[in-house]
Amino acid sequence: MNAIEISNLTKNYGEKQALAGLQMTVPVGAIYGFIGENGCGKSTTEKIICGLIHPTSGSIKLFGKDYTDAAVRSSIGVLIESPGCFPALTVWNNLMIQATNLSLPNKADAVREVLTLVRMEGAAGNKYKNCSLGMKQRVGIAMALLGQPKLLVLDEPINGLDADGMRIMREILVDVARKGTTVLISSHILGELEKVATHYGIMRHGKMVVEMTADELERSCPTFVALQTKDLATTKTVLEKQYKQVLTDEQQEFLRVYDAESAESVVKYLYAQGIIVTALKTDKIGLEEYYINLMARKEGK
Amino acid sequence: MGNKSFQRLKGMLAVDFYRLLHTPLWYIFLAIAAIIPAMIIGTTGMEGSQTAPLFTNVWEAIAVANPLYVIETIGQYANMNMVFIFGGIMVSIFIGHDYKSGYVKQLFTTHAKKQDYVMSKTITCAFAMATMCLTYLLGTVLAGLLVGLSFSVNFGSLVCALLGKLLMSFGWASLYVLINIIFRKHFWISIMLSFFFGTGILIIGVAGLVGNSAVLNLFLYGSSVYACLSSNLLSVVVCGLCSAVWTVIYNLVGTYILNKSDVY
Repeated sequence: MNAIEISNLTKNYGEKQALAGLQMTVPVGAIYGFIGENGCGKSTTEKIICGLIHPTSGSIKLFGKDYTDAAVRSSIGVLIESPGCFPALTVWNNLMIQATNLSLPNKADAVREVLTLVRMEGAAGNKYKNCSLGMKQRVGIAMALLGQPKLLVLDEPINGLDADGMRIMREILVDVARKGTTVLISSHILGELEKVATHYGIMRHGKMVVEMTADELERSCPTFVALQTKDLATTKTVLEKQYKQVLTDEQQEFLRVYDAESAESVVKYLYAQGIIVTALKTDKIGLEEYYINLMARKEGK
Repeated sequence: MGNKSFQRLKGMLAVDFYRLLHTPLWYIFLAIAAIIPAMIIGTTGMEGSQTAPLFTNVWEAIAVANPLYVIETIGQYANMNMVFIFGGIMVSIFIGHDYKSGYVKQLFTTHAKKQDYVMSKTITCAFAMATMCLTYLLGTVLAGLLVGLSFSVNFGSLVCALLGKLLMSFGWASLYVLINIIFRKHFWISIMLSFFFGTGILIIGVAGLVGNSAVLNLFLYGSSVYACLSSNLLSVVVCGLCSAVWTVIYNLVGTYILNKSDVY
């Protein structure tokens, strides 16, 4: 069974079409990285899943049932944009409010449990407005986790976090997924997403461009030989005589050869041309480059 | 209402009352409600004051002597009905926080019925406005004692007038809840419209054209004026009925709008 199954979903805002026949499948237990440029319809999709906005047409099934089903709705945890907390109240009180809304039988224990899960046991008494951005995001996750949801919908939860905040968020997501919760997470920070996601969905202009598992992504990402010499410009000219795909990396430090048989063959070729390689490695392109290349291909660049 | 629905509404009411009691908003408006009559009476009736006293009897600050829908002096306007104007602003801020903080996202994603939300807000805000009426009464009595105004009154009529005003809190709260649901993404429009309807400009305008008529009691402002110092049990019944009918209508419309439109 899939946690989310979306078929032909459309959403119009007047003349503007935010979703144009979206198809999407999120397996149970996945950490699903939801990717796309700003305005491509990610947040709209998430808000529809959460029942905050109505679709124009299409079908959404959560755990095999219609998304409006009351039992299904009560098994969703959500953090969209920012946590829905009252600034003047403490972290503890904000969480107790959500626990009351959810009619949880043992509110205090449930709140303590989620606070431990998000490593915020010591900050329960802090007023929400005095929390740092990272802490606020973690309160939002804690709030979403109350009631042990089967599906967690997170919209840009790592935006603005420092390195430590991102690490903690990563650990939390892995913990949550290990306990069987399906996570749908959208983010522009693809490097971070790559560290936790088991599945990906890439959207463009209100449609799904591609859905794949992390293994499929791994297989789709080409390997390349990266090398350094004393004169990259000359080396590039020389390499282009032998190889078709030679590029300089973003930092202008390495040359990348994408169509070489092996690193050894490149070194031998350059040595024969009188060029000494000073540094050498083989690597794979990551999610970010894969995404950029995919979008460039879609735009016909 | 089924047991499950009642439990759900009870949970939401618990949260709304918790917020009301644990944030400064309600206390600020309670103080405002107490200070308004004290300022009106105090600044116009003090010995040696240059201004002519607005009231000679303290209870005129609570309600007019007879139900006049078209006001002739500012004194006929400056009574407990003002609580319903300030109450509108309080309701706008209270509900505005739900949207500004994003609280409604958590609420409507998981479980909440829109009907429960509307009912819970109406009950909480009606309670808040009713308590504002009580602090208004307290402020009036203290200021009256301080200034030395007359306290003579038909006690039965006064009690009926007060009961009528308290009952009207429900009707007014439901109107403001509806306005805030319609303009939930436009906080300032909600506040301005609350003020506009709270002052009863429309009813005063209609009364100006057609004259004083008991038909105006069908409306919130009309019934609020009807709860006056010549009130009797019929006035209380009229206020209760008017308030209840409008509460049901406004709640149904509010629930329909929330069900049919995008929440956030």
